[in-house]
Amino acid sequence: MKTMTYVEALRDGMRFEMNKDPNVYLAGEDVGIFGGCFGQTAGLYQEFGPERVIDTPITETAIIGHAVGAAASGLRPIVEIMFIDFTGVCMDEILNQATKMRYMFGGKAKVPMVIRTPCGAGVGAAAQHSQSLEAFFTHIPGIKVVMPSVAADARGLMIAAIRDDNPVMYIEHKGLLGVEGEVPEGDVVVPLGKADIKKEGSDVTIVAWSAMVGKAMNAAASLEKEGISAEVLDPRTLKPLDIDSILSSVAKTGKLVIVHEANKTGGFGGEIAALVADQGFDYLNAPIKRVTAPDSPVPFSPVLEKAYVPGEEKIIAAVKELFA
Amino acid sequence: MATVGIIANPASGKDIRRLVSYGTVFDNQEKVNIVRRIILGLSAVGVARILYMPDYYGIVPQALDGLKQEDKVSLEVERADIELTADQQDSLNAAIFMRESGVGCIVTLGGDGTNRMVAKGCGNIPLLPVSTGTNNVFPGMIEGTVAGMAAGVVALGIADGPPAVMPSKKLVIYKNGQPVDIALIDAVTLRDRFVGARAIWETERLLQAVVTRGEPHNIGIASVVGNIEPVIPESDEGMALEFGGEGRSVLSPIAPGLIVKVGVKGHKKIMIGDEVRIIRKPCIIALDGEREVEVKEDEEACIKLTFDGPRVVDVRGVLHERVKKWAGERSEG
Amino acid sequence: MEVTKETLLGFYETMVTIRTFEEKAMELFAAGYIPGFVHLYIGEEAVATGVCANLTERDFITSTHRGHGHLIAKGGKIDLMMAELMGKVTGYCKGKGGSMHIADVDLGILGANGIVGAGQPIAAGAAFACKYKKQDNVCVCFFGDGASNRGTFHEALNLASIFKLPVIYVCENNLYGISNCQRDHMNVSDISDRAASYGIPGVSVDGNDVMAVYEAAAEAVKRARKGEGPSMIECKTWRHRGHFEGDPGIYKNAKEQEAWIKKDPIIKLEKKLVEYEYAAEDELNAIKDAAKERIEAAVEFAKNSPDPEPEDVLRDVYAD
Ligand SMILES: Cc1ncc(C[n+]2csc(CCOP(=O)(O)OP(=O)(O)O)c2C)c(N)n1
Ligand SMILES: [Mg+2]
Repeated sequence: MKTMTYVEALRDGMRFEMNKDPNVYLAGEDVGIFGGCFGQTAGLYQEFGPERVIDTPITETAIIGHAVGAAASGLRPIVEIMFIDFTGVCMDEILNQATKMRYMFGGKAKVPMVIRTPCGAGVGAAAQHSQSLEAFFTHIPGIKVVMPSVAADARGLMIAAIRDDNPVMYIEHKGLLGVEGEVPEGDVVVPLGKADIKKEGSDVTIVAWSAMVGKAMNAAASLEKEGISAEVLDPRTLKPLDIDSILSSVAKTGKLVIVHEANKTGGFGGEIAALVADQGFDYLNAPIKRVTAPDSPVPFSPVLEKAYVPGEEKIIAAVKELFA
Repeated sequence: MATVGIIANPASGKDIRRLVSYGTVFDNQEKVNIVRRIILGLSAVGVARILYMPDYYGIVPQALDGLKQEDKVSLEVERADIELTADQQDSLNAAIFMRESGVGCIVTLGGDGTNRMVAKGCGNIPLLPVSTGTNNVFPGMIEGTVAGMAAGVVALGIADGPPAVMPSKKLVIYKNGQPVDIALIDAVTLRDRFVGARAIWETERLLQAVVTRGEPHNIGIASVVGNIEPVIPESDEGMALEFGGEGRSVLSPIAPGLIVKVGVKGHKKIMIGDEVRIIRKPCIIALDGEREVEVKEDEEACIKLTFDGPRVVDVRGVLHERVKKWAGERSEG
Repeated sequence: MEVTKETLLGFYETMVTIRTFEEKAMELFAAGYIPGFVHLYIGEEAVATGVCANLTERDFITSTHRGHGHLIAKGGKIDLMMAELMGKVTGYCKGKGGSMHIADVDLGILGANGIVGAGQPIAAGAAFACKYKKQDNVCVCFFGDGASNRGTFHEALNLASIFKLPVIYVCENNLYGISNCQRDHMNVSDISDRAASYGIPGVSVDGNDVMAVYEAAAEAVKRARKGEGPSMIECKTWRHRGHFEGDPGIYKNAKEQEAWIKKDPIIKLEKKLVEYEYAAEDELNAIKDAAKERIEAAVEFAKNSPDPEPEDVLRDVYAD
């Protein structure tokens, strides 16, 4: 075990695989000497050189498109999109190329690539640099979606994502990059599709991912003082989703609150709610609640942004509603 | 060791004349291509070393990089050690560097403007100008391959002096008695105060001009002279013009696709050593087509014709000379 | 081209206003008054100034993440800009947009943009509307060297060309896209060369010489107004600061930086003004002081303005 920040951990995951597999390379805007907009790739250029840590022009379409071609031809690219918001300009390469190639070719192609990209509000970056777009990608068959919430998962999921033979969307939250945690060293993988109980509890299940896990943990701590024992479950991977773990938790608690930073309509919380309603209806003794951002773009002003991002108070309020 | 300098100006052929007339579009990829042909020409005649002007784009390194495997040359290639300024100063600094390191010939890629800057620094080193600018009089349209061969022959000392290497005229601009700049073809004064977008295209702003040469097939202000009374490059005379609506009107191609009537109030042949005073001030003096020198109301300025312009390689003359020498050697041997 | 003393002094005032605004923004960002990202225009003032001097309120512009200068040159109000930078409800976008999204639609400013290269087709669209309505107004699209690698650039230029739209593409080539030097991100040294592939005339000018920019833009705007179609002007310039505030710019060569700082567009113009006795040094100082005063007033206005109310989050998502 070693204490590392989330960003160091995800970087260490990339480094580990790059050392192990010469077919793994990293490409994106300013990932070289600049080290990434939030320092995610700092030092990798010096360590692996310009052949494996490649600065590209501002050309998201070609960044993703070239990765599809390279992956289909035997390499394992990690490509960075500087902000998840910019996936809008390379959506065809994700939607119609990376995720469809294998299926359309009758299973004859493999597209092992990782798209690494930061999401999330909270840094005053406004509507085009702050979104949480995971639901866009969970809706596309053919790509896996990973959203770590702590340093250890950031590393373990990175290694698993690189080793996976499918396109994987690895979504890191800007607000978590500097958060420290204990991280196992060496060849330790966090398997894709395996949820993690971040805190055990008996009265209510809070499903949260990415930056919302921390908020759910704080909310659970407050609720504990008021006599409500909340279980915090982090799916870690949204697709494939570990629905069994969610169902067994709900079977134990009988109540479910889902928390995500993305806005509500069409958000992935709706999918989880539907699955639980379908497969775990009998376990429930209260309605399923969702705590999400409102259906608006992310506003700039700190006052508005604070009102936009779901906070502990909202989680606590939603839980309490179930006990009223 | 025979060394040839290469100064390829990445900025030539981009000025406002592409907007106000139909100036040539000369992209840098083509300059790279021309440099490749020049290098192969140099290599073929036995030049051992190239010294080149660095630039932001890397014209010469890209040229070398793109040579086919079987064409890879064994020449030694060195970058002139100058601080880049990304403007025309680079051409001057490179020329000075090349002169000081004793190259045998300098090949330039650019227009009149580029050659003017190189001429300021190259001293006695022969220039071989290859045209890549918008509208030029000084450099000719010449195939890079033979230009490279000719430059090589000059650098190897096989040909020198007329008709292979020709002297040229130039104009020296004086302000308050001090020489401040030069022109190879023409110095034109304009009713303007600012250098601005540099080129000349508004004829109503023309005041005076002095030219080293002017023929009817030229483009630019030299063509006005050419259409009145041609002055050839080899003669020891130049011409002074005064513009204005009252005089004759001379239909001239002053920019690509821009053929206009230019009003000329008076013209006068001048001889080597003559000075022409700038009478209408304030003004801007455009040198070889680019607005350069600002002259204020109270400044004295004049333009002097001399014959100590750069020595210029005549590709045709050089290669004929070489064949003649070969023939001589064969009959001796 | 005839340029009067008044025109030049006007340029000076605009450039000084932009510089002073940016220096203030730098200070306020460091002091924590401005959240988010701030991309400063210091060193590039001659471009926006020289270009926008050819436009009227009826003309459009699209701007970029580095947009404060474009706004000021197009007549944007600095108090509303400053308030927006601080996220106040009195700001141009009621605190919803911030530095990267300031707009003034009434002045034809179709917004700064957080997506590099997004303005290029939008500008074609605004120009399309001008042409469709048979008016002689035009649109200017500002964009960076880095942005010219986006597909939007190529698609927009092609569209503008075949539709013969009254749009002027103004490339602010400051030789870097974040840490990526132009020679590493494209194999073309003059971005104006790219215009030729789309049948559009392209020119390159010294972007630190406001006169050169002004003159080239005047010709391009004239062309567009006459219905002769799009053009492109590449302005070679340099950003003095990091990509955004907080970026120390280690990827830049110190000597290069020094050489370019010497070519500061404001100092260049100042020298001319003094040399031509268009203004004495104290008159120039007076212009600077006046700009400072206006900007201080804008800062006061912004600081004293209220924040938006939390319920504003859901306002303006849709038109009613
Ligand atoms: C589509 C997209 N990709 C990447 C970015 C991140 N980004 C913001 S500014 C910038 C550099 C832009 O360079 P350039 O166009 O030259 O403008 P400059 O910053 O130099 O003014 C980048 C990569 C973005 N905002 N949008
Ligand atoms: Mg740039």
